[in-house]
Amino acid sequence: MIFEQEFEKLLKRVEKPARYTGGEVNEVQKDVGKCSLRFGFAFPDMYEIGMSYMGLQMLYDILNKREGVFCERVFAPGPDMECLMRDKGVPLFTLETKTPVSELDMLGFTLQYELSYTNIINMLSLAGIPFFSKDRKDGMPIVVGGGPCAFNPEPVADLFDLFLVGDGEEAITRLCSLYEGWKASGDSKDAFLKMAGKLEGVYVPSFYEPVYKENGEIEEMKKLSEFAGDKVKKCVLWDINSCGFPENNIVPLIETVHNRAVVEAFRGCTRGCRFCQAGMIYRPVRERPTESLLKTAEKQLKATGHEELSLLSLSTSDHSEFVSLATRLMAVCKKNNVSLSLPSMRLDSFSFKVLEEIGGYKKSGLTFAPEAGTQRLRDVINKNITDQSIFDSISQAAELGWNAIKLYFMVGLPTETYEDLDGIAETVKKVAEVFRQKRMKITVSISNFVPKAHTPFQWEAQDSYEEFVTKHNYLKEKLKIKGVAFSYHDSSMSVLEAAFARGDRRMAAVLVKAWEKGCKFDAWSEHFDYGLWKEAFAEAGADIGFYASRKRSYEEKLPWDTIDSRVSKEFLIRENEKAKLAETTGDCRQGCEKCGINT
Amino acid sequence: MRNKYVIELSKGGYMKYISHLDMVRLFKNAFKRAGIRLVYSQGFNPHPKLSLAQPLSLGYSSTCELLEFEIAEDLPPAEILDRMNPMMPKGIELFKCRRMAEGKSYASRAVAASYEVCIPIKAGDRCDAEGLCRDFLKQESIQAFKRQKKTEIKKETDIKGMIRELHGELLNDKIILYIKSDAGNRSNLSPELFISAFVSFSGINAAREDISVKRTGLFFSR
Repeated sequence: MIFEQEFEKLLKRVEKPARYTGGEVNEVQKDVGKCSLRFGFAFPDMYEIGMSYMGLQMLYDILNKREGVFCERVFAPGPDMECLMRDKGVPLFTLETKTPVSELDMLGFTLQYELSYTNIINMLSLAGIPFFSKDRKDGMPIVVGGGPCAFNPEPVADLFDLFLVGDGEEAITRLCSLYEGWKASGDSKDAFLKMAGKLEGVYVPSFYEPVYKENGEIEEMKKLSEFAGDKVKKCVLWDINSCGFPENNIVPLIETVHNRAVVEAFRGCTRGCRFCQAGMIYRPVRERPTESLLKTAEKQLKATGHEELSLLSLSTSDHSEFVSLATRLMAVCKKNNVSLSLPSMRLDSFSFKVLEEIGGYKKSGLTFAPEAGTQRLRDVINKNITDQSIFDSISQAAELGWNAIKLYFMVGLPTETYEDLDGIAETVKKVAEVFRQKRMKITVSISNFVPKAHTPFQWEAQDSYEEFVTKHNYLKEKLKIKGVAFSYHDSSMSVLEAAFARGDRRMAAVLVKAWEKGCKFDAWSEHFDYGLWKEAFAEAGADIGFYASRKRSYEEKLPWDTIDSRVSKEFLIRENEKAKLAETTGDCRQGCEKCGINT
Repeated sequence: MRNKYVIELSKGGYMKYISHLDMVRLFKNAFKRAGIRLVYSQGFNPHPKLSLAQPLSLGYSSTCELLEFEIAEDLPPAEILDRMNPMMPKGIELFKCRRMAEGKSYASRAVAASYEVCIPIKAGDRCDAEGLCRDFLKQESIQAFKRQKKTEIKKETDIKGMIRELHGELLNDKIILYIKSDAGNRSNLSPELFISAFVSFSGINAAREDISVKRTGLFFSR
């Protein structure tokens, strides 16, 4: 426990002090003397971001339901707080009991996005824990990583003792049991890692060592331990209904990004968009039935008092009982004076019909993601919507009284030409025409394609920074349309994201260099400094282009080949080849496309 | 007959660090959890009829906050307290609930508030608290610097007229000031202005984070 009086003095000097106090409704407190495993759930960003992440609430719930396990939360302090903590020698602490993180048994970082990696280093530094696994002695917390970025853990492999790949619900429980037994035995950390490595979905990076070719590619992943398997298969919670869903979510005391009740409608997605990592790594689709969703929603609303309820999934209207689900959720919401939010809807006439029928749905902003400007390119990425369906739905939205629309496109997709960029402008123009009489607000948001591991585009080159800038400028001119606001994502951030998304172990050196130069909160435009990153790459002797804008051959050994997403490489190659021919692949519900998840 | 009530509550511990708006949201959530239905305003964006009489600055504790609200059913005040108190996070305690007569809200009638300001002193600092207060008030005008919201420029204002009472006492190595000052729509003195003026007048060298403030009373016009 850090000194309370000293802590209060810090609180009086920082912005949003309640980021650091804990004490929220539904926070869990336990008698630490009776806990054999003290777990820190670390979110490598600020409180407001981390508390909006449902995975935190899920694992917090599972861990704290276990007797003898106490899971507490740890976030990255804001720069003002960090400065004071370093000045006063206050180490990184948990929110629940203000315990220094270095005193915990296990520290689990969730890896949600690549640009949070410097925050991991910074948090370890604030905690006084050595960055590299090899430098951490027995008795120091076991540092665990999980989340989507654990599907290519290599850039941060040296920082972690182990990774949990895939669904965490059962995996974390197994890991806890193992830990408790091991702790009682008093054996070494090495012994623990050897046992942990045998668990499904556990990747122990220190069991492997990459060997590089002269050209920088990976020659092989040399096994350093007899406990190293050829592949680490991701964990799958096959029966999603076997595991409960949190009902007593922590209710933040301050405004967060999302402060609402959330129920997960289903995990996975059947659409098969070729750029989408979530669509590949969360397979197969596992649905929660309407009855159980309703029950959870009611209980969560009761326990939290939230004023908004939202459904979580990758494509909400794809739930097999969507009509009855939406209708009945709306009834629950009306009864409780709560507003309903249905994000990630596929905007077709079916969805609109449902939204219209359930009544009382707030028609604020509508988000459409055609992703590409021409039918050809949409076929390449397997985003199976047609021009016609886009305009039909938009006309319908206008008819039904929606007052603002957001259009999402991506630039730099494989095979893209300027014709496709013209297509974006054409699409926006037509939408603007539909909306002109209605005086609606149209926002066009352009993001940059980032090739991700375990997707059909994992071998593809990303556009260079210069290419992105040229394309943005081209679109900026073309999109000077009355009533249309245009924004685009920072190109240097996208390039860095790509480098980490497909990076190998040598990226750790870059990461540490960048941190030493002061990089942190890289996902925040006000903190991001690409100049420092360029220096870091140069000093570490790494070439960002090698990772971001280099096309790989199918034969090349990829850094993440050890991780088995259960979607086969053959399927990814097949999909990439079809992409080149602009051939589409059907929705899995219409017939199995043999990706490997079910075999 | 409308079911209007007022709850008296205290705010302390870590709850000092949540804002006025956070408090409003906390209570909206708490009523929902307690299963007590608030009355909502009509209109495009309905919001529950619930307000705190006078905003409290971040970092201050209080023993005298007032929460006014209207609910959809007629409940005995004691029952409301019994159902709401378990919903409170540590640091907020509801100690009284009563029905409210029709008429103007407390929020619109607030005129003054009293505070206890606790300032640590060091050897050599002036410590005759009561004398210090008297001398402070004897000044012809009491200048304080108020930051303009829009321009961020500090503007000098005379706060003397807004201080209604001021007393002090020495308690171990601390000076406790008891101040009653204007608080409300018509005239409002932020205790921060008073504190900076007092500290610079007295020459006490205390950092702001070492000074604590507690609100002890709210006063209303009829």
